[in-house]
Amino acid sequence: MPELIEQSVALDPTYSEAADRLRARLQKLERDSGARALGVAVYDTASGFSFRYNAERWFHAASTIKLAILLGVYSAIHRGWVLPHSRLHVRNRFMSAVSGAPFRVAADRDANAQVHAAIGKMLRISELARHMIATSSNLATNLLLDLVGLDTVQQSLAEFSIEGVDIRRGVEDERAFEHGINNRVTAAGLVDLLHVIADRCAFSRELSDQMLELLHAQEFRSGIPARLPAAVRVAHKTGEISTVAHDAGVVYPPDRKPYVIAVLTEWSPEGSGRSATIAEISHSVYELLAQVNDGG
Amino acid sequence: MGESYHFPLAVVDGLRLEKAVRDALKPGAIVRDDEGRARRLPRYFYEIPSWDDAMRLKLTPDFALWEFIQTDVREAEALRAFPRYVPCAVTLLAPSLQRFREAVGSFVHIAANGGYRSPSHGVSGNASPHAWATAVNIYRIGDTFLDDREAIERYAAMARAVLPGVWTRPFGWGRGLTDDHLHLDFGYVVSIPRDAPADPAGVDPEVAVAC
Repeated sequence: MPELIEQSVALDPTYSEAADRLRARLQKLERDSGARALGVAVYDTASGFSFRYNAERWFHAASTIKLAILLGVYSAIHRGWVLPHSRLHVRNRFMSAVSGAPFRVAADRDANAQVHAAIGKMLRISELARHMIATSSNLATNLLLDLVGLDTVQQSLAEFSIEGVDIRRGVEDERAFEHGINNRVTAAGLVDLLHVIADRCAFSRELSDQMLELLHAQEFRSGIPARLPAAVRVAHKTGEISTVAHDAGVVYPPDRKPYVIAVLTEWSPEGSGRSATIAEISHSVYELLAQVNDGG
Repeated sequence: MGESYHFPLAVVDGLRLEKAVRDALKPGAIVRDDEGRARRLPRYFYEIPSWDDAMRLKLTPDFALWEFIQTDVREAEALRAFPRYVPCAVTLLAPSLQRFREAVGSFVHIAANGGYRSPSHGVSGNASPHAWATAVNIYRIGDTFLDDREAIERYAAMARAVLPGVWTRPFGWGRGLTDDHLHLDFGYVVSIPRDAPADPAGVDPEVAVAC
């Protein structure tokens, strides 16, 4: 049924005209912003409307890969391997995807100091998951990935037929980075992943709700939510390194069903205006869906 | 003759515990160390009724029992619930650590998974002395994180100076080395308190469980 809805929406001139306008807007933004590349995917759960702009292009995932790790952690919870309140030893020592050499997450490169302060102690899985998403803790991320395993995350993605998320390693693995072993995502892949969670089909309604609650706790709000009305809630995950800036999430307007959006951007290291570009795209999508919802 | 001190925890024979617990503790079983040498795991354990008991029971002026039994989700499931069990040698380890704490003059933080952990714990390697309750991992002393050569080697030298026979894991990044904590251990010491239960069959327990 969803495919039929999408086809009917695609044939609806209101939607196709709006999509054309948005595509033109993105082309202009891509030229004017200084970004090397933009990738955008949108899925509206209210109408079935789907929009794609360079949505199959691969980008370095940066911290958006934490969405996949979140899915893997909840897969482990779903299977009864761990509980949300299970405790995990906080240790800052991981094995590189290249040669197994040990590496650490540098405290001064991590947005979250709380997890580093707990080294030698234990934190709950739910606490680590919150730190991984809300403040993008790299240490929490590697601890969780180390616990559930890369295979579990990859199998979780395969279970939901999510092809546009390619996880190969943890974060801050410089040796792997130097060897070109990186996590990659497409805008379409992130929307597929978030769509599963937004539809509350990720293992169970209860576990999906728990994941959404973590995504709602996001503290970096200069991207997708920045130019949306205050009443709009956004459950999302950002990602940024020197050459990319991303944001992907589920947007909940107050009076309609949510839509899922991923905005991926690539820049030269000195490029500026990243958050503003993401916020602009997010605002354009919001306006488009508001207009077609109102009858164009 | 003075009144004898009554240690508040009961000594239990690991071979008489329920199967799930027994399977995880492997009492008296033979395991191999990194060199392939056979080492026999402890058979007798103190039974800890509750976390409150572990919190209340001071083994030395500065160390309570709970500090030696903190384990994470990778511990065997049967051993995560109370009553829990710790090899009787923990009462020999604690005074040694107290001596070390007095020598360094600051708080000594035993890490999670860094006191006793069972041989079934997910991070227990070959014949890890942690499964004898004769080893500790220390990530922090006072406000100093032991995560570089200087800190690890300085405190390792202090430990060797005050604890005869203690083994400290050398600093380094490879197998059998440590780069992010201080590891102290006294080897494969087995303690059988005087009030440990007798073996009803009169069989050498170590023969009975040899595998």
